[in-house]
Amino acid sequence: MSSRLASRRNVMAAALIAPLFLLVALSFLAPLATTLYRAIEDSDFSLALPKTSRSLQQWDGVALPPEEAFRSFVEELRQAQQDQAAGAILNRLNFEETGLRTLLLQATRASGRLAEPYRDSMIALNPRWGDPALWRLFKRATGPFTSLFLLRSLDLKPTDQGVAKAAAQDAVFLPLFWRTFEISLVVTILCALLAYPVAYTLSILPQGWANVGMMLVLIPFWTSILVRTTAWFIILQREGPINALLMAMTLVDQPLTMIFTRFAVYIAMVHVLLPFAILPLYSVMKGLKPDYMRAAASLGAPGWKRFLRIYLPLTMPGVAAGSLMVFMLSVGFYITPALVGGPGDQMVSSFIAFFTNVSVNWGMAAALATLLMAMTGVLVVVARLVVPGFRSGGVKA
Amino acid sequence: MAAPAAPRPRRSLIEASLYAVTALILFFLVAPIFVVFPLSLSSGELLVLPTPGYSLRWYEEFFTSNRWLLATWNSFVVGLATMIVATLLGTLAAFGLYLGQFRGKALIIAILSLPMVTPIIVTAIAMYFALSLVGLGSTLTGLIIAHTVLSVPFVLLTVLASLQTFDPNLLRAAASLGASPPVAFRRVVLPLIAPGVATGALFAFATSFDELVVALFIASPGQFTLPRQMFAGVREFLSPTIAAAAVLLIVFSALLLAINEMIRKRAQARGISSGPTP
Amino acid sequence: MKTINIARAGLIVAVLAAAAPALARDLMVVGFGGGFQDNARKHLFQAYAAEKGVKVADDVYNGEMAKVYSMVKANDVTTDVIMVEAPELVRGCEDGVFEKLDWSVIDQKKFIPNGTTACGAGAVGWGVTLFHDPARTPTGPANYADLWDVQKFPGKRTLRSGAKMTLEVALLADGVAAADLYKVLATPDGQKRAFDKLDKIKPHVLWWKSGAQPLQLIGSGEAAYAVGYVGRTILANKNGAKYPIQWNTLLFSFDYWAVVRNSPNKAEAMKLINFMTDAKPLTNLAQDWAVSPANAAVANDPAVIAKNPGMVANHAKEGLFINTEFWVEHGADLEARFNAWLAK
Repeated sequence: MSSRLASRRNVMAAALIAPLFLLVALSFLAPLATTLYRAIEDSDFSLALPKTSRSLQQWDGVALPPEEAFRSFVEELRQAQQDQAAGAILNRLNFEETGLRTLLLQATRASGRLAEPYRDSMIALNPRWGDPALWRLFKRATGPFTSLFLLRSLDLKPTDQGVAKAAAQDAVFLPLFWRTFEISLVVTILCALLAYPVAYTLSILPQGWANVGMMLVLIPFWTSILVRTTAWFIILQREGPINALLMAMTLVDQPLTMIFTRFAVYIAMVHVLLPFAILPLYSVMKGLKPDYMRAAASLGAPGWKRFLRIYLPLTMPGVAAGSLMVFMLSVGFYITPALVGGPGDQMVSSFIAFFTNVSVNWGMAAALATLLMAMTGVLVVVARLVVPGFRSGGVKA
Repeated sequence: MAAPAAPRPRRSLIEASLYAVTALILFFLVAPIFVVFPLSLSSGELLVLPTPGYSLRWYEEFFTSNRWLLATWNSFVVGLATMIVATLLGTLAAFGLYLGQFRGKALIIAILSLPMVTPIIVTAIAMYFALSLVGLGSTLTGLIIAHTVLSVPFVLLTVLASLQTFDPNLLRAAASLGASPPVAFRRVVLPLIAPGVATGALFAFATSFDELVVALFIASPGQFTLPRQMFAGVREFLSPTIAAAAVLLIVFSALLLAINEMIRKRAQARGISSGPTP
Repeated sequence: MKTINIARAGLIVAVLAAAAPALARDLMVVGFGGGFQDNARKHLFQAYAAEKGVKVADDVYNGEMAKVYSMVKANDVTTDVIMVEAPELVRGCEDGVFEKLDWSVIDQKKFIPNGTTACGAGAVGWGVTLFHDPARTPTGPANYADLWDVQKFPGKRTLRSGAKMTLEVALLADGVAAADLYKVLATPDGQKRAFDKLDKIKPHVLWWKSGAQPLQLIGSGEAAYAVGYVGRTILANKNGAKYPIQWNTLLFSFDYWAVVRNSPNKAEAMKLINFMTDAKPLTNLAQDWAVSPANAAVANDPAVIAKNPGMVANHAKEGLFINTEFWVEHGADLEARFNAWLAK
């Protein structure tokens, strides 16, 4: 093919790819980028209190800031309060240090009584205003960027002297990430263990039976996740079918508590994700030529040895692809733990939802999302390096 | 293939236990889904088994409630629009990737499939922030955009897979007979990759139809889809209407699955790949 | 062909997307749902619609303020009038997500003392109490101290998944007098005391988020004892349940009507609020539903009081009034701390 023809083809190819690429760039990559940006962006203070910000940025941060900073702080905060615009800054500061909301509101309420020199008058109102560390915190909040949200997501906090551990009552996120990892790992292992015999059996069954079995895998696969989770919600209830059965068989004399437990989360998540593990494994097993096993058998190797040395390694890519898919889906799971889990079974996703919808702290939501994404990314890279035979193209069933 | 040379009785024992384990796991996969069927026909108010009696009242409730009907309508609008856009853009891009002879194809495919591997909760809040920034939060258009992005990788990958079996000489032949590239695409390529396109389209629709997490963040009550309305129901009050809705969703999913199987069978008969989805 | 196809698809999408919201937007009222809203729909929303010839639609939320905040931020306001709890009202007013009410349209004189704030007009009183199902558990706890006695009262209890109300319950259970409660809860020691107390029953608690859940959990036997909304318990009792209401465990407050900032139907929204707080529609509503309205004439109407023994205002002396100022000041901190505590 001539190079002119090739380049014409490439122009056409680019034109065909461009619309989709644009869509993904604009409505996926750009939102993702703005989320990352939101995790470090810090403009509430400088937007609400521009003059104060400027004078704090010029301040050396050693002794108390100049009178001008105090005056513009009082004036701008009072104005923001009147314009119903102080909320963002109050929430931002109070998130960094509990109690600042109260301190600032006290100052605005008393702003009528405050007079020149504002510095002395504010310190008289509350000695806290005479603490340079407080003003250094404000200075840090003038933006444009902050490490506050990302650090807090790692149970750390920024201070004058660099990074420190967050207060014990705020330090919940590292255990949360660990729990997310633990739940996802357990679900992945369970799925791999259950998927293997199913995929194997389906791959050796006569076609007719294999089709029936495949249908039984595909029906749940195509059924809405919510429907399946709801089904588990009903089954695991105190007065649900499982407890009724156990009571009828007099195996237990008290109904077992199954709903709102880790057990419920595991069982429902495995149910939802198992097809994702079976399908790639099945297609790998189906594609294996029986010759290898026959060759090994003719060499006299016993069954389990043939399985361990030949069959298992040959099917590993299927296990890897399925497991990676299951793990990546698990990490972001929200609905199933929210419906059938207790408060001790919630994953990072539930905190992302909490900060987005309930406490309206989008910086924190974005920071947690960023770290969750990083965790998934690292995992994919590690999986590609460690797991034998893993190909990126084989991920999807 | 398991162990042809192994002693007979042991082998059949292993085989029998293998079958038993498989049967149990398949039962675990399928049985829970059928739990909702008797519940949806309950005459009682509570979602408990055994049901006090049978009636169709919860289906009546579903089909006379504005909320459920609106949710059904929204689900179909969003699902169909997502399917059309995702199939169109995905198919064209897949063909472009097939045609092109440049480096970095794998990278482009990886970027375009990113929505599939990003944790869904991250995608959801990213969409929520971005769409409310441009005024598309709480709109069906916003939901369609989000669902298209989520489902387009499925179309792309299925169509790419079916293009693998496409013979490039056919294109050259078409060109030599004077067909312009668009005509060649429509008359030669499309018929041959149709099963892959159809599978991708079906998957795109099903993805949108099932999607809840993004809808949870983006949709206000006016844009509630079926899963979103069901979620509100499970959270608010577990009436058997939810079971009725669940049954309707299951039946519909089964229908989609049947269509998919039909496409696959017909493609198989013609010796064409319908894509990597089984 | 490509461009034509894209244009065609774009058109289809546009038509499909436009199809649903193309209907002109009605005046939208959002509340907490449940029996109150079902009755308010008839006696307040649709009564107004009938009288003024304006279309009114209503919907339900669980008090998630983020939707309101993002609506205002994105300037895409789809809700006009919203029912909010007092602390959220005051904070939302400070944060600029609610309009200041127009007292030339809404008659401020008709309300009970403190029945209005800058951004809110008092709607109805509400409360939570302890209750259980005697059909499953013959005896239930009579007060919050009992609720902590897991030996005497085995089984799950269900509490609200949030700091507000739950911390009060914990301190009351720990023997803090109602009169001192908010003084104690304002101190770090008092907060620690409340969380320590909650630690003691944490393994025995199922947490609810929406008002319907406590009834669902009691109804299905999942929980044995619940702290839940009185109005919904009364409704359940009307429908055949027999849940004794422990009035001595009442915590109560008022809900307010507010107008979402930059609502395109602002003027109409003010008029609707004035109508919904008038004596006539509220008296009609009181025929079907145990309201405790913030309208002084109705709240003090002997006929209304006699008809509604379940009015929280009738039990004000037994109960604890949830302190709005306290929660405005400490709400953000304590809710975040509660959420972190819950996840541990």
